[in-house]
Amino acid sequence: MEAPPVTMMPVTGGTINMMEYLLQGSVLDHSLESLIHRLRGLCDNMEPETFVDHEMVFLLKGQQASPFVLRARRSLDRAGAPWHLRYLGQPEMGDKNRHALVRNCVDIATSENLTDFLMEMGFRMDHEFVARGHLFRKGIMKIVVYKIFRILVPGNTDNTEALSLSYLVELSVVAPAGQDMVSDDMRNFAEQLKPLVHLEKIDPKRLM
Amino acid sequence: MSGVRAVRISIESACEKQVQEVGLDGTETYLQPLSMSQNLARLAQRIDFSQGSGSEEEEAAGAEGDAQDWAGAGSSADQDDEEGLVKFQPSLWPWDSVRNNLRSALTEMCVLYDVLSIVRDKKFMTLDPVSQDALPPKQNPQTLQLISKKKSLAGAAQILLKGAERLTKSVTENQENKLQRDFNSELLRLRQHWKLRKVGDKILGDLSYRSAGSLFPHHGTFEVIKNTDIDLDKKIPEDYCPLDVQIPSDLEGSAYIRVSIQKQAPDIGDLGTVNLFKRPLPKSKPGSPHWQTKLEAAQNVLLCKEIFAQLSREAVQIKSQIPHIVVKNQIISQPFPSLQLSISLCHSSNDKKSPKSATEKQSPEDHLYVLEHNLHLLIREFHKQTLSSIMMPHPASAPFGHKRMRLSGPQAFDKNEINSIQSSEGLLEKIIKQAKHIFLRSRTAATIDSLASRIEDPQIQAHWSNINDVYESSVKVLITSQGYEQICKSIQLQLNIGVEQIRVVHRDGRVITLSHEGQELQDFLLSQMSQHQVHAVQQLAKVMGWQVLSFSNHVGLGPVESIGNASAITVASPNGDYAISVRNGPESGSKIMVQFPRNQCKDLPKSDVLQDSKWNHLRGPFKEVQWNKMEGRNFVYKMELLMSALSPCLL
Repeated sequence: MEAPPVTMMPVTGGTINMMEYLLQGSVLDHSLESLIHRLRGLCDNMEPETFVDHEMVFLLKGQQASPFVLRARRSLDRAGAPWHLRYLGQPEMGDKNRHALVRNCVDIATSENLTDFLMEMGFRMDHEFVARGHLFRKGIMKIVVYKIFRILVPGNTDNTEALSLSYLVELSVVAPAGQDMVSDDMRNFAEQLKPLVHLEKIDPKRLM
Repeated sequence: MSGVRAVRISIESACEKQVQEVGLDGTETYLQPLSMSQNLARLAQRIDFSQGSGSEEEEAAGAEGDAQDWAGAGSSADQDDEEGLVKFQPSLWPWDSVRNNLRSALTEMCVLYDVLSIVRDKKFMTLDPVSQDALPPKQNPQTLQLISKKKSLAGAAQILLKGAERLTKSVTENQENKLQRDFNSELLRLRQHWKLRKVGDKILGDLSYRSAGSLFPHHGTFEVIKNTDIDLDKKIPEDYCPLDVQIPSDLEGSAYIRVSIQKQAPDIGDLGTVNLFKRPLPKSKPGSPHWQTKLEAAQNVLLCKEIFAQLSREAVQIKSQIPHIVVKNQIISQPFPSLQLSISLCHSSNDKKSPKSATEKQSPEDHLYVLEHNLHLLIREFHKQTLSSIMMPHPASAPFGHKRMRLSGPQAFDKNEINSIQSSEGLLEKIIKQAKHIFLRSRTAATIDSLASRIEDPQIQAHWSNINDVYESSVKVLITSQGYEQICKSIQLQLNIGVEQIRVVHRDGRVITLSHEGQELQDFLLSQMSQHQVHAVQQLAKVMGWQVLSFSNHVGLGPVESIGNASAITVASPNGDYAISVRNGPESGSKIMVQFPRNQCKDLPKSDVLQDSKWNHLRGPFKEVQWNKMEGRNFVYKMELLMSALSPCLL
């Protein structure tokens, strides 16, 4: 059976092409508390929230070399929240004037039978993990501090094991394409977190 | 110079000629007397400079005189002198030694002069007394004591002076420090109440309600300044505060939102700026610093501006049948026909006093404080809503937004459901609704009150409930007759006053909806009052043992009433001889007729048919009672008297 054609055209979400601006960093477990404390002071005045999410990464291999990747994510601690399907494009490092990593991004809320639908379409699950951490917000900026847990038995999210002794810190903004001004705000915010965590644009290609 | 006696030197020889030798023959050979110059040279050679003499001046004068004498040979002598120095030829010239000595003396004098001048400055060199031992023992011990005492006293004085100087310095420093410290402590107090941040060398504060959820674009920044224009030496005034705040000029003064309801809408052309009537500035609370009141006032101005901006934005956006008008600082809306709600922003700055406001005094009764207060409540609710509507997405990677909004896709919401998520009532709509309710309530109260005061016979009582909603309140209306409250409880009405209409709930559960027009309520109450009289007769008949023959709330006969319908009742006496018929209309009033037994009517024409005496028990014709001539203070009492008069004596 022939594999369904995979479009390599840039994926856009509706009429507006949304981009995700991203800065990443990490903190060791023991300094998590001071970082949380600092974030509570800097971010919008609201109760800090925790989250437990289960993410599954699906691949669709076509004739092309690079597979098509979709990320399905669901909340484990909030009942009734919709699933979240996300497409992330190739990250662009950009020049020095842009202070954040930029990638194409399409967000869709879906019902819970998403996995079946993706399987039917020919997607195949590549890997899955559980993310557990804290969520902050300042204006349009979203700050997530979380730890990634490996799932020992596939499909069983209760049986997990921490992947590392550190927390991943992500500062992200989803904005329409071309609004590079937001990266300045992000840089300023990252500066204020400086001694605790260094948020940088990390090129995933270099890590591979 | 030492005190050795000087040797007198005479420059003239005692004798004229010196004897060179005395010959054996006794002849004296004289030496040729020395010429003047030779003599001088000889004498000069004999001067011993190392040995001082008492007559220095004299000698110096002589030497000078000599020098003058020798002035003629001066120039050549100088040259000779130089040569002499160079050639090391001593005694080339008779004054050589004198000159050399004078020279060295001059050098020493110069050095001494320099040293003294340096010493006098006391900068680089000081003169220290050589240790006492060096003094010759023959020194007077008393002088020594005196000197040492003087010295130690001087030392002590110096120490004291130094101490005093240090003290004055520290006192001035303290004063300065105190001011500084006061500023810092004030700043600390300010910090406890207001948001501050440092920008460059300035301290800026935040007046805005942004952290509370406000979206008003005014930055609301104030600057903290150090109050330094006070002289330290002068007395510090009571209200002096080392810290001062500078608020933006557009937030100065005092402001408030004024809401009023007028009966008649003025011509739009007449609309102008609403004048302020002056309000005294709020007195600062004792103990609270001066900047606190200043900042609170500025924050109030900011909030009022935000309320007004929000209202005017909504006034323009909302499509209503009668459009809302925004003119200058006034928003005009028409909640009911011929009724005008005006909301205005009054802002007065302290320095600018308008003389107009003093003359044109607004009447305070059309000033709705409740609505003004509610506007403040509403804007705060609005703030809270914007704060709480920001919800964290779950799962965490999802974009920000309302949860129901994201559910709309997967759950396939239709248009109405999506609209219901988004729609929220604006501030203006809410306040107009409240104003409508307030107006309706006051109109209801006025109607009931005027009826109660105008109509005495059935009494009308209103019991207002104390606890109301902003959009609904209720009143219980009782219609009674004086003295018969216990038996006449037929009419009890519950009036629920809403925003647009009044719902009337009868005692038996019937519900009537009245519109906002006051006339409707009045007509309704009038008809209820007229029904009450008939009900009262019915109740009274029960008590008196009379029989109700017929009863009708709405009679279809007789003259047509303009309000409601007339009601009627007919009751018969216990033995059936008499009957009373009452017809009561809201407009026509009451008409009471009594039916007599046939045998009591004298003027009744004899009928051919009714010959038998048994027909005498048939009732005869009705006769109207002249009701206004009856005894009794009210309708029910009169009726009771009538009934008892027609009842047979049971004894």
